[in-house]
Amino acid sequence: MGQRPSITIGRAGLTITGALSLSELEQLRDAFDSLAREPSEEVTVDLEGMEASMASAEAAIYGGLRKLRQAGARVMVRAAPDGFLERFEKLEKELCPEARPRLRSRTFSWFEDVGDSVLETSATLRGLAAFGINSLLSFARVVFGPGKLRWKEAFYYMEQAGVKAVPIISILCWLLGTVLGYMSGFQLRDFGAETFMPDLVGLSMVWEISPLLAAVIVAGRSGSAFAAELGTMKVRQEVDALEVMGFDVKGYLVVPKVVALLFVMPFLTLLADLFALLGGMLIGGWYLGMPPEIFVQRLAFVLLPIDFYWGMGKSLVYAVIVATVGCFMGMRVRGGAAEVGRSTTSAVVVSIFLVILADALIAILFMYVRPAVTV
Amino acid sequence: MRSGPGGSPELIRVRNLRGGYGKLLVLENVSMEVLEGEILLIVGRSGCGKTTLMNYLLGLARPWAGQILYRGSPLVFDGPSSLTAVRRRWGVLFQSGALLASLSLLENVALPLTEFTELDASEADLVAMSKLALVGLEEFADSLPLEVSGGMQKRAGLARALAMDPDVLFFDEPSAGLDPVTSGELDELIRRLNGDLGTTMVIVTHELASIFAVSDRVIMLDAEEKGIIAEGTAHQLRDSTGDERVSAFFNRRPVAGGAAR
Ligand SMILES: Nc1ncnc2c1ncn2[C@@H]1O[C@H](COP(=O)(O)OP(=O)(O)O)[C@@H](O)[C@H]1O
Ligand SMILES: [Mg+2]
Repeated sequence: MGQRPSITIGRAGLTITGALSLSELEQLRDAFDSLAREPSEEVTVDLEGMEASMASAEAAIYGGLRKLRQAGARVMVRAAPDGFLERFEKLEKELCPEARPRLRSRTFSWFEDVGDSVLETSATLRGLAAFGINSLLSFARVVFGPGKLRWKEAFYYMEQAGVKAVPIISILCWLLGTVLGYMSGFQLRDFGAETFMPDLVGLSMVWEISPLLAAVIVAGRSGSAFAAELGTMKVRQEVDALEVMGFDVKGYLVVPKVVALLFVMPFLTLLADLFALLGGMLIGGWYLGMPPEIFVQRLAFVLLPIDFYWGMGKSLVYAVIVATVGCFMGMRVRGGAAEVGRSTTSAVVVSIFLVILADALIAILFMYVRPAVTV
Repeated sequence: MRSGPGGSPELIRVRNLRGGYGKLLVLENVSMEVLEGEILLIVGRSGCGKTTLMNYLLGLARPWAGQILYRGSPLVFDGPSSLTAVRRRWGVLFQSGALLASLSLLENVALPLTEFTELDASEADLVAMSKLALVGLEEFADSLPLEVSGGMQKRAGLARALAMDPDVLFFDEPSAGLDPVTSGELDELIRRLNGDLGTTMVIVTHELASIFAVSDRVIMLDAEEKGIIAEGTAHQLRDSTGDERVSAFFNRRPVAGGAAR
């Protein structure tokens, strides 16, 4: 048996001798703790007399060294056994990266994070753009060229994305029309201007809110469903299988979805318009005492047919965005099932973002296109 | 129709292939060929790059460098046209079967037929049915893939791969997830198809039993070498003394009676 183990705290540090065992662990930890509480600038840990010890003792020394380091001391280890320091440094790197010598300041790594996410985002956008262009080519091949459009699929998605979205879109737009009519009527009445309530409800809903709301709901219901469906197919290698069979995968999987949304979005938008106006009309009669025929007359005066067409036209752009982003996020899935979940989330977030971005651009254009109506 | 190496013309030639994922180099300087009519097995321990190599052969990913020639002309990755034409002569059985979940087994098998041939729907169904019969699944023609067992999905995947009477069949881990009996039946089927139709087979596997049961020729990949470390018949490789890794792999289990031969 070796020397009796001892742990001595000296002026400049700690000396460990003998073969440590479990019974000394507590003592060892205390010694390191007391040093770490009032660290001198430089602490020497002397292991010269230490004999081969249990792994748990070695681990306790690692822990102690780390504590000293974190307390800000420069730690010198004297006469460490073979491989001890290498193991320690390796553990340091794996367990707590922040304990590594700080080559990078916090600010710097903040910039680095921002840079990373910019690069990642731009890579995603480039991927999306390439995917969009490819899908467009497939679309052209299928619609104008030799490719066959799978109408059965397209009808299926029309039902899923369109027909089944009717209740929720109607209810929400009716509610919004009601709220908008109520709030604006409430404000306008103070000025005796409640006769302009139909202007406000009509223009804001038909120009902006109905098309947006329809797109957002379709993104939430169907964009995510497209991503989940394609992501799952990707994970199960079904997409690879189609590709090696010689299918034009985009024409086969993506185009029917785009076509379906192109068909249903304008109608959903029109539906949203009508229910919003209905909401406004009902609240006008109930709250402002405005007879429905007056409401309709006023609407007929301020709203031009182009307003409806424009909204439906915009919704075509949104349809392409929602379908393309949903499919892109699905096709991007590489790993396993967990990634499918992430892809559906991104599909919704990114498509809503792009829809609103597109809306902003289109709004600018609209102001040039629409003839003015003098009140 | 068994063709030994040497005599038959080469169907696929790979030259100095290099590839991987991101910064990870998986395959370096791989050269090999697939001969007409042979059953070639690509073997090696998990993670050595078998699936990666297979994906390159199928044109599902583009190698970093090197060339793949199919009947003497290179696979073109830009523009779908030529690759598509070549692919219609291939059948592929993926690890999971990869049937379209929304279609019945029959519809799955008929899919390439209705899409790429002049057959009308009922004729395509007839052909598809005969392919399903070949793998013993005619009773399940109307089931959805998720309603049948994994082994059946795989067999249906094989029927689909056979639908277009391919020149080459590619298999990724055909016996993975199958019980030994089903896996043995699949091996039997592979042998029979090769014998009856002369279909060339490229099979990725690490299943020793399959290797000895079906292979004409074996290529062994290794993760450290990032490429081919041995080539020959299964028995040559098992009895070879040159490379420790090869004999270790092939002698991992005693193979009863030197395998089915
Ligand atoms: N999609 C991928 N992204 C990153 N690395 C991958 C991917 N697929 C495989 N790899 C890595 O490439 C190596 C070879 O993988 P693979 O070809 O699947 O091996 P095998 O099929 O022989 O088991 C492994 O180290 C694996 O981790
Ligand atoms: Mg694999």
